[in-house]
Amino acid sequence: MQELNYRMKLRNLVLLASACGLFIIVFIINAILKVDVELGSLLYVREGAVALALLCCYMFIHFQRHDSQKRLVQKIGIVNIWAGAFVAAAILISLSPLGGFDTRNLKIIPRDYLTVFFTSILSIAAGLMAIVTQLLIKEFLLYRRKKGTKRNFYALLVMILLASAAAADGDPMESSVASTILFTASILLIIVNSFRLTWIAYLPRREKIYTLLYSLLAFFIFIGIDVFIADQNRVVSRGLLYFSHPLQVFVQLNAIFATVYFGMVFISTLFQLPTAEAFDRKQTEISSLHNLMRLINQVFDFNDLADTVTKMTMEVCQANGAWLEILPTQNSSQKSGNVSNQNVSAEDIAIILGGGEKSLRQLVLSTKKPVLVDNLSNDRRTRHLPMLKKVGSILIVPLLTHENVMGILYATKEMDFGFDQDDADALSGFADQVAIAIENARLIERSLEKERLQRELMLAQEMQKRLLPQVLPEHTAFVMHAVSSPALEVGGDYYDVAELGDGRYGIVVGDVSGKGVGAAFYMAEAKGVFQSLSKIYLSPREFLIHANKALAGSMDKRSFISLLYAQIDVHKCTMTVARAGHCPMIYVAANETHFIQPSGIGLGLTGGEVFASTIEEKTVPMHPGDVIVLYTDGVTESRDSNGEEFGSERLRRLVESQRLCSAEEITEEILQQVWNFTDAQGYDDDLTVFVVKWNGPADHETEVHTLSL
Amino acid sequence: MNEFKVAIRENESAHVLDLMGYLDAHTAPILEEAFQSMIGSGKFRIIVNCRDLTYISSAGLGVFMAYIEDVRENKGDIKMSNMTPKVFQIFDLLGFPMLYDIVNDERDAIAKFAALS
Repeated sequence: MQELNYRMKLRNLVLLASACGLFIIVFIINAILKVDVELGSLLYVREGAVALALLCCYMFIHFQRHDSQKRLVQKIGIVNIWAGAFVAAAILISLSPLGGFDTRNLKIIPRDYLTVFFTSILSIAAGLMAIVTQLLIKEFLLYRRKKGTKRNFYALLVMILLASAAAADGDPMESSVASTILFTASILLIIVNSFRLTWIAYLPRREKIYTLLYSLLAFFIFIGIDVFIADQNRVVSRGLLYFSHPLQVFVQLNAIFATVYFGMVFISTLFQLPTAEAFDRKQTEISSLHNLMRLINQVFDFNDLADTVTKMTMEVCQANGAWLEILPTQNSSQKSGNVSNQNVSAEDIAIILGGGEKSLRQLVLSTKKPVLVDNLSNDRRTRHLPMLKKVGSILIVPLLTHENVMGILYATKEMDFGFDQDDADALSGFADQVAIAIENARLIERSLEKERLQRELMLAQEMQKRLLPQVLPEHTAFVMHAVSSPALEVGGDYYDVAELGDGRYGIVVGDVSGKGVGAAFYMAEAKGVFQSLSKIYLSPREFLIHANKALAGSMDKRSFISLLYAQIDVHKCTMTVARAGHCPMIYVAANETHFIQPSGIGLGLTGGEVFASTIEEKTVPMHPGDVIVLYTDGVTESRDSNGEEFGSERLRRLVESQRLCSAEEITEEILQQVWNFTDAQGYDDDLTVFVVKWNGPADHETEVHTLSL
Repeated sequence: MNEFKVAIRENESAHVLDLMGYLDAHTAPILEEAFQSMIGSGKFRIIVNCRDLTYISSAGLGVFMAYIEDVRENKGDIKMSNMTPKVFQIFDLLGFPMLYDIVNDERDAIAKFAALS
């Protein structure tokens, strides 16, 4: 970085030094020329030195220019300073008591060395001024350039250089045919280039006023320069011609260019001034709309969006105050009512919106079109309202989505007739974008909410799957089979089996109130309680009493778990059942089928004593071929298309008719029948079926015998 | 969509909630609101008339459980009456008759409340 900086400084220094050296050579040649005007070949050396010196200056200025990024108006100011300084110097020299020049045979002869010195200095200044002017005008021309812009400019540049070069040959006071033609061509190109005035349109109104003043000043200064250079009776013009004829042509053409161009700038700016405000406003509108479009992708937070909208409303139509009303909708947690408010008091809003059925708000809602009130106190729609100090006129536009009004945007101005039709159009266009933005925010909110719920449900579903036993115990005395099918993604049904040792197995079927994540959570708790307490309290009744105690502390007031606990004893060949508010167990023996329904209330309904007093225990004997069925209310409460329930009686008969089938067949048959019954409606609750088929006593010898077969 | 409605009547000794329709997880908030308004205004003698109640789910049962404690602490009660056999079966299965006063007719409940005061 420092290396680069150093190099740049060195380069600039070299350029400056070469320019100075070359100018000194020109000085010397010009001094010699005073003595002997017939040194022909030295003339070309001089012109070459001038051209090279100016090239060095050009490069120096060109490199400098890149360092500063100035506004276009300021650049006209710079031109003015250079040109003004030159004019001032020219006037000083004209008024000074220098000897001046004589003309003889179309040649210019200085009367003294001081004249040569001062006019040479002035000539160098003229050259620099011409370069600076040209470089700056180039920037104006190339602003928002088109295809031919650059080409036209370089054509002019080449033409000016050619015209200057043509002047090298021949006497200073006369011009050749070639140089006249090139000069005329340059003038034509100057006119062509002077129509590049696009940049003025994009200036803000304030800068247009400055441009107008600066360009007028520049125009007059360059007319002065033109006069100084063109009038060959003056010392300035003669000095330039004596110093270098090509330089004189170069400066003259550039001065004419500047005169014409700034003249055009002045006229163009003058004509654009009346429309400057409108242009500014359009620019603001466009950039506001652009800003909002950007915000649509950025603002997900509804409150931020609402504030942005009201602020932008004020910009779009230069309002003093604005507020946004969102109409309430379903399926959205977004706020409704007046959600954002800029510079309008709640009292004023209440007054403006007053008037019941005939209020401005109702008018917008019914017509779905913008409403403009130029003068609140005189308009027939609003003159009955109390006077408001801060609101003279109001513009109201609806926010429409799919032809429905989703909200209303209000803009107010203190003065009467503050808004015109253009404002109404602009705000309507803006309102369309706002409606899209708000709709987007709603959609995003909804999809986020949906996604969250889905994730939650998937998690619960996964959890529930893991809570159910993956494998049921196998034993020669019985065969177990179970199926559980959640109605929604996550149900409240639960079943489990625990091996309690000494030929005893505990089976539990339960139903947790509620569904979803809450149910899955209680289910997990129930599983923990079952797996631990069933091994400690071997009596089903005791188990339920302690399970209730364990669960009571952590359960929500309105939640409960219904449970049926059946304990198999393979040695005694019995099934002992206790029930906590759950569906009864179906018991199918060789010649009897009935419900085993010991009394007992649901877990989590009430604590300790009362609960314990309600719980009974029943024991039934098991014979080979006996079947027991445990189920949840999803089975019996399934409804057909007429609303009729499957019912426990239908289930009892079904099980009875299937008693000779295997446990798996019975389970499948129950599901199939319920499925057929509910028809296309599907299950509207979770349902669980747990079947145990008794094979025979767990005789140790039988077991060995079967194995040895 | 299954519908559910609650109507509130005032009686000399209690307030009666008439339940109509299908009470499940979707409609339970309607009943909750009714209970909340009763308890909020200090009315703790409540009779729930279930004559037109066609179904009650576990979420519906949960509503009663949520408020019974508050009501009883304030020396009031929630009594239920006029249940259809089907609805009674649901209450019965869970063991509600052992915890709640479920009577055949609304008048019996009114008489019980009247006897207290």
